[in-house]
Amino acid sequence: MITRKYLVTRTSYAVLTSAIALVINFLLPRLVPGNPVYTILLTKYHYLPPNQIKLLESEFGLQNPNLLYQFQRYIIELFHGNLGISYYYFPATVTNVIATHLPWTLFLLGTATAISSLVGVIIGKYIGWHSGTKGETAISALFMGLTSIPFFWIAVIFQLIFALYITHLLPISGAYSVTLVPSWNVAFILSVLRHSILPIFTLVLVSFPGFSLTMRNTMVNQNKEDYLTLAKAKGIPERLIVKNYAARNAVLPVATHIVLAFGYVVAGAFFVEVVFSYPGIGYALYVAVTSLDYPLVDGIFLVITLTVIIANFFADILYAYLDPRVELK
Amino acid sequence: MLPEVGPLETKTLKTKSTTGEVSFLRGALGNKKFFSGFIILLAFTTIGIIGPFIAPYNPYNTSFPSWLPPTSAHLMGTDYIGHDVFTWFVIGTGTSLFVGAAVSLITTFLGTAAGLVSGYYSGMVDNILMRTVDVLLIMPTFPLLVILAVYLPPTNTTTIIILGVLSWPFMSRVIRSQVLTLKERPFISAAKLSGYSGKKILFSEIFPHLLPLIVINAVYIVVGAIVAQAGLAFFGLGNLASVNWGTSLYWAQSSDAIIYNAWWWIIPPGLSIAIIGIAANLFGSGLNEYVGQRSGEVR
Repeated sequence: MITRKYLVTRTSYAVLTSAIALVINFLLPRLVPGNPVYTILLTKYHYLPPNQIKLLESEFGLQNPNLLYQFQRYIIELFHGNLGISYYYFPATVTNVIATHLPWTLFLLGTATAISSLVGVIIGKYIGWHSGTKGETAISALFMGLTSIPFFWIAVIFQLIFALYITHLLPISGAYSVTLVPSWNVAFILSVLRHSILPIFTLVLVSFPGFSLTMRNTMVNQNKEDYLTLAKAKGIPERLIVKNYAARNAVLPVATHIVLAFGYVVAGAFFVEVVFSYPGIGYALYVAVTSLDYPLVDGIFLVITLTVIIANFFADILYAYLDPRVELK
Repeated sequence: MLPEVGPLETKTLKTKSTTGEVSFLRGALGNKKFFSGFIILLAFTTIGIIGPFIAPYNPYNTSFPSWLPPTSAHLMGTDYIGHDVFTWFVIGTGTSLFVGAAVSLITTFLGTAAGLVSGYYSGMVDNILMRTVDVLLIMPTFPLLVILAVYLPPTNTTTIIILGVLSWPFMSRVIRSQVLTLKERPFISAAKLSGYSGKKILFSEIFPHLLPLIVINAVYIVVGAIVAQAGLAFFGLGNLASVNWGTSLYWAQSSDAIIYNAWWWIIPPGLSIAIIGIAANLFGSGLNEYVGQRSGEVR
């Protein structure tokens, strides 16, 4: 059930969080001591004639030191999709850089989340139903261990294995073979798929155990419910009880977990992209950080933060729609 | 730990709680999970503390040949410019654990304080604190960490403060929900009837019951902070001159250690983080089981 109150609360949270992100994005670069034109551009170009400095200052909106005025300009430019110009990818704009990198990340994230939630729920259903057995305890312990391994380290280890021990089976860097020109033909699509196997596998390996453990816990709780005792008493085959009764009720909280884990998986995707030189937004952020491309860092921060906030918002709404029992706060 | 109590009371409370803690620890160590987690964490802490003394070489000594595989002189080989990897590992253990512990201290303090106050004094304060927490929890942490680390000075202190200040909301929520259930227990009503002040109930009646939960969360945060710091370092953020597990992995990645098959450089820091993570989970779930047994209730 989606009540009006629920909708209003969720919307106001999303709006408030986005506003905080905007303010951070606006203030942080301005709180750093010094004039951005001098500190950033002069280190890049070493010398600029005074009239050009004037021009840049007006371009940055700096001729008026009033923060409110600057904030107003910042918001206006933002709504025009202007996030500034990247230093590293000069003369490309930040918006352009993000637009070319984002699809790769969405592809990795979407596929990995779909696979890991599916695998996680299936395994969690199984171990949850058999909880308390030796095998279940061992698997749960293993999963807890898997969730605590850093994403990037797993990625590095895979790269090591596939670079030196199982060579030529799977590509270990890039998103497609450098000999191919991006287009919608079979060779290119196959190359993209082959290049995505290791990054996606890494993401799945580190994120599915968390989903499994949540599913396991909710399954264990279902086991105590009266309706299951009744189902058993009626003599319904166990296989059907698990499938049609317990798992159906247990899967909903897992949906919340998947949403909560979204931010974590996004961060994971960034690391995986860095290790496998995968040209997604995480790789762009890495390049921006290491080359001190401040406008690009700011732009990526804003886009990613807003995307995650909006995704969370829709997931919350969807969840309330799917599960009428959802706690209305 | 127990502020605002008279000298006489402090003395009686102290003796009581010290013996209580010792017997509690002894009992908890009977739990296999807790025991193994505890021992592993203790082992790493020991390495971290004695690291600088057992390190065979100066970590900045680059006079050895590059990319040496492990030998008796270099237990973990050497890296791209001839640092002794074992030296980096033992000293790095100390730095990583220190960062983790410092973050945990800040987070635990903020999280516990916010959780206690919010859970016990419902109403306006609770509302403001919990709405703040809600908003902070929606905010994705990683991009925020990155942008803060880009603009703030790259020191370990900065990393500690950023991580400490950003991770308290979740903990405060855990503590708050526990305070809410504790508040309804009969002994609290008894304390209220005996005329205890709110502050006294909070610190001497509710707080002791929260200790296991606080300890478990504090340990998880240590591990989370180690992973987060390593992640930031891997991204080229924070103090890259500092010797720790994260910077080890960063330099390994940026100097193409994989091409040189320098597994001896890549495996120790990552594996240690994984082992510490498993140990923290064992420690936490073991302690939870033990506390559950003791109070005769399953959480």
